[in-house]
Formats: sequence, structure tokens, C-alpha cells
Amino acid sequence: MSQWLNQVIEHASVPSDFLATVRQQSRETLQQQGWPGRRAESWRFTPLTSVAKREVKSATDVTAQHAPEIDGLNAIELVFVDGKLTTDCDKLEVPDGVLIATFDNLSEAEQQRAAKVFGQVKPEHHVFGLVNDVASEQGVFIDVADNVTLEKVIRITNLVSQDVDAHTRVAVNIGENASARIVEHAQGDTPSMTTAFVEYMIGDNAHLEHYRFALMAGQAKQIGGSHFALHNGSTLNSTIVGYGSELSRLDVDIIHRGEHADAKMNAVYLLAQGELFDLHSNIEHTQPNGTTEENARGIIGDNARAVFNGRIHIHRDAQKTLAELNNRNLLLSRKGLINTKPELEIYADDVKCAHGATVAEIDEEALYYLLTRGISRSKALVILNFGFIQELVNQVPDDAIREWLLPKLSERFTRMEVK
Amino acid sequence: MLKIQNLHASVEDKTIIKGLDLEVKPGEVHAIMGPNGAGKSTLGYVLSGRDGYEVNEGTATFNNQDLLDMDVEERAQSGLFLAFQYPVEIPGVSNMEFMKESVNAIREKQGKESLTAAEFLKKAKEACKQVQLPLAFLKRGVNEGFSGGEKKRNEIMQMILLQPTLAILDESDSGLDVDALQVVADGVNSQRDGERSFIVVTHYQRLLDYIKPDFVHILADGKIVKSGDASLAQEVEKNGYAFLGKKYEESEV
Repeated sequence: MSQWLNQVIEHASVPSDFLATVRQQSRETLQQQGWPGRRAESWRFTPLTSVAKREVKSATDVTAQHAPEIDGLNAIELVFVDGKLTTDCDKLEVPDGVLIATFDNLSEAEQQRAAKVFGQVKPEHHVFGLVNDVASEQGVFIDVADNVTLEKVIRITNLVSQDVDAHTRVAVNIGENASARIVEHAQGDTPSMTTAFVEYMIGDNAHLEHYRFALMAGQAKQIGGSHFALHNGSTLNSTIVGYGSELSRLDVDIIHRGEHADAKMNAVYLLAQGELFDLHSNIEHTQPNGTTEENARGIIGDNARAVFNGRIHIHRDAQKTLAELNNRNLLLSRKGLINTKPELEIYADDVKCAHGATVAEIDEEALYYLLTRGISRSKALVILNFGFIQELVNQVPDDAIREWLLPKLSERFTRMEVK
Repeated sequence: MLKIQNLHASVEDKTIIKGLDLEVKPGEVHAIMGPNGAGKSTLGYVLSGRDGYEVNEGTATFNNQDLLDMDVEERAQSGLFLAFQYPVEIPGVSNMEFMKESVNAIREKQGKESLTAAEFLKKAKEACKQVQLPLAFLKRGVNEGFSGGEKKRNEIMQMILLQPTLAILDESDSGLDVDALQVVADGVNSQRDGERSFIVVTHYQRLLDYIKPDFVHILADGKIVKSGDASLAQEVEKNGYAFLGKKYEESEV
């Protein structure tokens, strides 16, 4: 056990709501399995000592804040500050067939639908997912009814104040033939500890365009997950952008629960000096004829460390699965480090599956060539190395998000000193 | 314009340049010839400031500035240009994007306004035409999949766009047939305006039939051992580098 975990469990005021049973179960599981030890495989390269010894500090006064500006983004904005939703859901302009409400404000029918998502997509083995089950007080349920196409983007923003512990939770249900676009956005660099988990149930022939911007940096510790269950004929297009921080860990699970589902995920991470970013992705194909295409690319600065674990698990019945996973990394310094581990587990015999991981260093000869043409070192590095990140950013389907992201990442990259 | 005195330089602790003196005045064309291993390419790398090429002794001033104290990009911004013998391929970076950054970086240093995309394109098209590179090459990755001759022409194209005050051409003739040689030489000659200077590094006399040098220097074992006018190149053509002594008798010309 750790001091922090003990305190989290003690402090948690589990609401006696429709989710009480699940929360109680998670609490028991946590108490049984305890704190992940040094040898726990999923935390092998990401030490948790700084969290273990932490003193829990809950926010006292929470003031509403604005979400970071994204020019031209037409969004329904939900803002969490220090784990508390500061948006008044009743005042949101939400189209017919779309529900956005806090867990304590659901009708019985809505509660039933939410209960089919909460804790039902996220695998049980995520320790901090269990922590979040127990410690997240007021979650939000987003429900898009069958056949509804939501034009506006829904953005869930997470902000946190100095030294605070914050836990946020969202459950999303996208009905049959429905379509939605959802952005998860966390930003800031104040010392803090957050967990943020979102579960998505994507119905038959439904479509989700998803973004997760895990942009907390500096001394902000952020641990979270985005978890997707795909049903028959559904599609997912997910873009993930991660910065490193003192501790930054993201778990993504894509679970093909129906046939003929297609998932595409592009992940980009940029780690400045001394930062850590850990991305664990897990793709489960349990049914036939599904496809997954995952591309993860990262640039790792001086003394920074990236961890990438990409697992693809193709179950016995998942014949005709097509799954590809590719991870490419660029080290800006000899003192940067990447632990990359693709894992394939295939139990079906008629599948196409590919994975690969590469690590590269700066091409000194190309850099010299650009310098001899009067291009500054920092600009030359952007031209040479930012390209392969840019390739993924260019695939971002939303124009406003793409236009916002590109200069933002380019600027961060330019500031990443090369030794 | 360029004054090199008693230059000593080494690569990985091996001394390659061993006391080289050279003065280039505005508008002059200097040819540097020499056998393989004389240090010809090294000179270009040292003057351009390549990492790993260490100056152990001597000075080099360029337009009254201490050249050796400047970063690679500063040297370029101050008007030094090196045409590479083996230009590197950079897939994924378009020739156009690369050259536009380059031209504007140098213009910025000169206090000129950046060129707009349209203005740049116009100049780039003219430069391409001058060295007979199809326009499609602007869109391709830098030198990506270019033939040897295309790479050399791409270097000259860059020189035309960047308008340096001193251009060092490192074996810009190697691997070229006569027609390509003519194109490269025409490109260089078009830039001779009485102010711009050139150092033409070559193994063979052939290029000097097309680019007439004012001075010819023979570089051997890291030093200039003989200097003269264009007729010195003819002499080398006829007799090889045998006059340098026994060590070079077998040297192929």
C-alpha cells in the first residue's frame, strides 16, 4: 500500500448512487491488490514512488475557468476544475437526442444506460482506473441517441490548481447509427495529481471521432485512460497527443466487441527535457472481420523518457482481423530514452497482423547540409524532424483542431533543446 | 574577401590540412587541384564549419570577420556557399520548402524582406531553367532519387538562388558527362560579375576548360605546394602530379 492510496480511499466519499456497487467493488479490488510494486509489468519503466508518498490534497474553493481557446472550434464545452464540473449542464445548448448530465441528475432510464458504460469498458486491471472509480465524485454522462448525428464537438476540459488531487470521470454512450465528435483536453503545468478516465460505448454502425490532448507538463502528474468498446460495424478515429511531465501516463483500450468494426488511432508525443510520457495501448479483437490501424510517433528530448507499450490481442474467434501497429521514435539526444514494446497475441489463424517499432537519431549529415544553406539550427531541426510528426497531425480530420495543433506542437518542438 | 593563413585542421585526430595559405580577392576564380587524399574536400568542410573538422592552428578571415569563430549557418548567412561533391538526400523535405527557408534565412540576415511564396517560386523557376532541372524537382524531396548529375545541378541551382559572395565548388564536375558539365559551368559563369569569388576544387583539368580560373593552386599533403595561372592546370593535365615527387607518380590523373 502507499500513503497516497490509503488517503485516497479514506477521503473518498462514495455517493450512494446507482454506481455505488461498482465503486464499492473497485474499492475492494484496490484494497486486495494494493499498490503496484516495482516489478509490476505495466509500471516497469514508470516509477510511481513520487505518487506513493504523496499527501492527498483536495481542492477547497473551486472557481470556474474557461477552456483553452481553439480558434474556429464550434464546441459544447464541459470544464472540470480540480475534479469538479464547473459547467452548468442545464444551461448547455444541446441538440435533441443528446444528453449531457451529471450522474446525480439522471432519470432512472438514463441511469440504466450510464450503468452500462461506467466501469464496463475500462478493463479492471488499471489501478488508477480503480482509484478513479472510487475517488471521482461527480462524473458526467454523455448519451447520443440512436440515429443522431451531433454536428458540434463536445469538449471535456480538465484544469487543475496548485498541489491539488483531482479525479474526473465521463461515461459516453453513442447509440446505433449515431455519430459524435469528442475532445478530451487537459492542460497546465502546476504541481498536481490528476486521474481522468473516459469510457465510450460505441453502438452498432455508430461513429466516433475522438481526440485526447494530454498536455499537462512540468510538475503536473497526469494519469488517465480512454477506453472504447466497438460494436458491429462501428468506426473509431482517434487522435492522441501527449506531452511529457514529471509523470504522464495514458492507457488506451480499444475493444472490438462486434464484427466489422474499424478503429484508427494516431498518437503523437513530444517530450521536452527531463519529461516522462508513458502510452499503453491495448487492442482487443474478440470478433471477426475487424480492423485496427495504430500509428504512434514520438520525439524525445534530452534526458527525457518515453514508454510505449502496444498490445494487440486477437482472440480465437476474431478471424479475418486486420491489425497494424507502428511505433516510430526520434531521440534528440543520446541521453533521451525510449522503452518501446509491441506485443502481439494471436489465437486466430486467418488474420493479417503487423507491428513494428523504430528508434532514430538526428541525421547529422542532413542537419549540416541545411546549416550550410543558412538555415538556423532550430529551424533545421524542425524541418528535418518535425515532418514525421506532422504527417500524423495532417491526418487530423477537424480543420480547426489541426490548425491549432500544428503551430502548437511545432513551437514546443522548437523549444526542445538538442544536445 | 577570404584570407587563410597557416591553416592546420584535423579530423578524428588525423591532421589533414597542414599549413595552408590562400587569399581570394573579390571577383577572382581560384582553382584548387590535387591528387586524392590531398585535403581538397576537407578544406571546403573546414571553411563551412562542419562538426568534427577541428582547426588546430591558423586563421581564416572572410570579409574581415573571423570565419572560424562563426557557426555553420552564420557563415552561410554571411555569403559563403559550399556546393557539395556528394549532396545528401533528405526524403520528406521538399526541395522547394528547403530552398525557400534557406533564401529567406539569408535575406533576413541581410535585412531584406522575406520572399512571398509566389516571389520565391518565380525565382526558383528561373534558376531551374538555368541549370536545366525540370520544375518537378522542386516538389521532390531534397536530392531524393536524383542522379549524380541532377544533384550537381541542384547545387548550382541553389547557388544561383542564394547569390553568395564566395562559392566553393567541391568537385562539381565529378561524374558529369560533357553536356552536364557545360550546364554546370554555364551556371557558374553566369554568376561571375567581377565581385563574386569562386574556389573551384577539382581533380581534373577538364572543368577548367569551361570555368576559366585566374589562379590555379596545387594542394598536396595538406598544403599548397605550387601556384600559377591557368597554364598550371594544363601542365597537370599533361604530366599528372608526378612533379610532386615519387609518392604521387602513380597517382591517376
